[in-house]
Amino acid sequence: MNSESPLLLLGIGTAGSSIAGGVSRAFGPGLRYALLDTDVVSSIPDAPFILLGGDRLSGRGAGGDVVAGRLAAEETIRNLDAHLEGVRLAVIVTALGGGTGGGATLETVKHLADRGIPAIVFATLPFTFEGEDRQRNARGVMTMIEDFASASFFIPLDKLVAETDSMEDALRRAVGTLASGITLFWRLVEKPGYIRLDTERLRHLLSGAGRGRFATVTVQGPGRAAEALDRLMRSELLATSCGPVRATLCGILAGNDLLLSEVGTIADGVRGAFGGLSFDLATVNDEATFSGRLSVVVMLFESNVRTETEPRTGGGVMSGRRRKSRTALNAGPSGRGRFKNVEPTIWNGEDLDTPTFVRKNLSLDI
Amino acid sequence: MTSIHAALEIGTTRTVLAIGESEPGGRLKVTCHAEIPSSGIRKSQILDIPQATQSIRSVIREIERKQDAEGAKVTIGNAFLAVTGQHVKADPYFGSAQVEGARVGDDAMNEVLRAAHSMTLPKDRELLDVIEQDYALDNLAGIPDPKGMAGRVLRLNTLQIHAERNRIQNARTAADAAHLEIREPLFAVTCAADAVLEDYEKKNGVLVIDLGGGSTGHAAYTDGYLVSTGVIGVGGDHVTNDIAHAFQTTNAQAEGIKIREASAVLSIADNLQPRIKVELGENTLLDNRTISRRALDTVVNARMMELFTVIRETLEDQDLLHRLHAGIVLTGGGARLRGVEALAEQTLGMPARIGRPIHVDGLEDEEFPAAYATIAGVLLYASRNYEDHSILDGLFGRLFSR
Repeated sequence: MNSESPLLLLGIGTAGSSIAGGVSRAFGPGLRYALLDTDVVSSIPDAPFILLGGDRLSGRGAGGDVVAGRLAAEETIRNLDAHLEGVRLAVIVTALGGGTGGGATLETVKHLADRGIPAIVFATLPFTFEGEDRQRNARGVMTMIEDFASASFFIPLDKLVAETDSMEDALRRAVGTLASGITLFWRLVEKPGYIRLDTERLRHLLSGAGRGRFATVTVQGPGRAAEALDRLMRSELLATSCGPVRATLCGILAGNDLLLSEVGTIADGVRGAFGGLSFDLATVNDEATFSGRLSVVVMLFESNVRTETEPRTGGGVMSGRRRKSRTALNAGPSGRGRFKNVEPTIWNGEDLDTPTFVRKNLSLDI
Repeated sequence: MTSIHAALEIGTTRTVLAIGESEPGGRLKVTCHAEIPSSGIRKSQILDIPQATQSIRSVIREIERKQDAEGAKVTIGNAFLAVTGQHVKADPYFGSAQVEGARVGDDAMNEVLRAAHSMTLPKDRELLDVIEQDYALDNLAGIPDPKGMAGRVLRLNTLQIHAERNRIQNARTAADAAHLEIREPLFAVTCAADAVLEDYEKKNGVLVIDLGGGSTGHAAYTDGYLVSTGVIGVGGDHVTNDIAHAFQTTNAQAEGIKIREASAVLSIADNLQPRIKVELGENTLLDNRTISRRALDTVVNARMMELFTVIRETLEDQDLLHRLHAGIVLTGGGARLRGVEALAEQTLGMPARIGRPIHVDGLEDEEFPAAYATIAGVLLYASRNYEDHSILDGLFGRLFSR
């Protein structure tokens, strides 16, 4: 463990640990990470491991029970503190739908928030074939994670695989794709570059960023910048979400052969394709890792999932976000227009006759 | 025996009148319908009775003109009225009865039915419908037909749909002034649902979202019966108002932009045509104004996502969202908005489709049949419950010839 790094990777549950382990292997020495699980059997040998709910579950796992996973984490999450010294930003990788991923992730994010450590959550959502119960478990915990995480990426596993994959290939491909993506993200932050994205800048950028979309591509050969851009624009992970983009982060990783024109092509293309009120660019030059290759990491943050004016909940872990009173009317901005003289429609304390973009403080590039 | 009925929908954006005739095979056919833009209506409520009356008169004239052109003539004396708006509420209520002789017989069935229909409403409310759900016998719930079963206390669960009496009276007053008698007010949202849903969808669990101009209704079905319904006072007019406010256009310009250009979802394709020309009409000097497509779609997306989120939260509160295995069916003119199915799928987490009246003939050639789901459902109700040439009756109905 590199105690100097202010960036900590946490893998939660069996799937999260597997992905974090993949990142560790790909990144090599210097990655600061720890794995948290209720199941000792699935732990990775020699990896920093925190057993959750040892007394309650005896290391046998949460059995798909979100409540058991949450209680296990609640009882033992303090064991994480030994790994938090000097940490300025935590990245959590987890899989929602199961017991430990669903239950312990929330407790972990809360615990970090209590200690003033912002967290970025990369969470996979169950395959469709896993059934409605797991989908529902995942959906139930998503909004609660959003309440405590600085930024969260919910990635449907269906979008990481091909329909022609066998079950085994699909699982391997999903874990591998996510692990390689997070590894690229890690290199973007930890490796030097001409336009540096370090932990402090990332911490600032992601403060209250909300829900985001995340995709990476790696290409090589002639026309690689254009190909990277084309693949990003066709990426389901970036294109399928419905929310407007507030901020865009674009990272370019390459060797010493990275051309200025390639940076321009990608930056202009991403900015034009995905928009957003703010656009940040970072580059990494790592000849040893990327010689001849070019990788691009894109993070898009949506602006209408949660606004800064909405309160965060302090407790009620499994009760969902606390909703505002449905009877009190906020003194909101104007814009009722043709509805100014009719009975208002009030929901969660908001006057829905006022334009939504006004109430949500969405800025428009008219 | 065939029967013929008329249905009236006084909507926020349009007033629709339709005539339906039941055919020998039992199917219902819409033989003629007409629509004209509404005036004096906001959020599904009549604010100006003379204007609403004028709309009704105009639509009656229009349907008579169409009938004349087809060589048939029906002078409409009465019509069933589609009612919606956020004043419409649905409350659960149950009736119970003692079972004589330890087995449920006709007496207990009749008694529990009577009790279930005996809910007392405040004087300012008018009952629109009583939806019978499942029976419970002692501790055993979810019984579709308890007759012959053993038990002591029989209970029938219902959903009572009621509306503000004055709002319905305003519609009656406007219709009376146009010489049209309102025969029975019906809840528009469940009528629309009945027109577009198959029975198996109701059994599997389905959600109908009726996107109107001034309000949006939802109706959720599980196990074959209605379990949740309601109306929120947000509709397509709000989208128009948001666009007008964002881009400082008139409502007419905003409506045009919404119909021609807007999308409920944001996509990379927005960048293919990043600017949209605003049609400002002939009397303006600002003839080259354009707006950002992404900004437009951001405004529309925010509004529609919020609307679907309200419905999602309502169903989550009732623990129903996970029981709607047949997905979402969108009806109403608001379902015309580009990308609205995709957004509904994303926001509510289940597949969505645009509905079309499947139990009614005569609307197949319409450009967007989902916009006629309510009026079709009203006619369907009338034909199933009244077997007479009732269209002749009423204040001024006199003539029927074909």
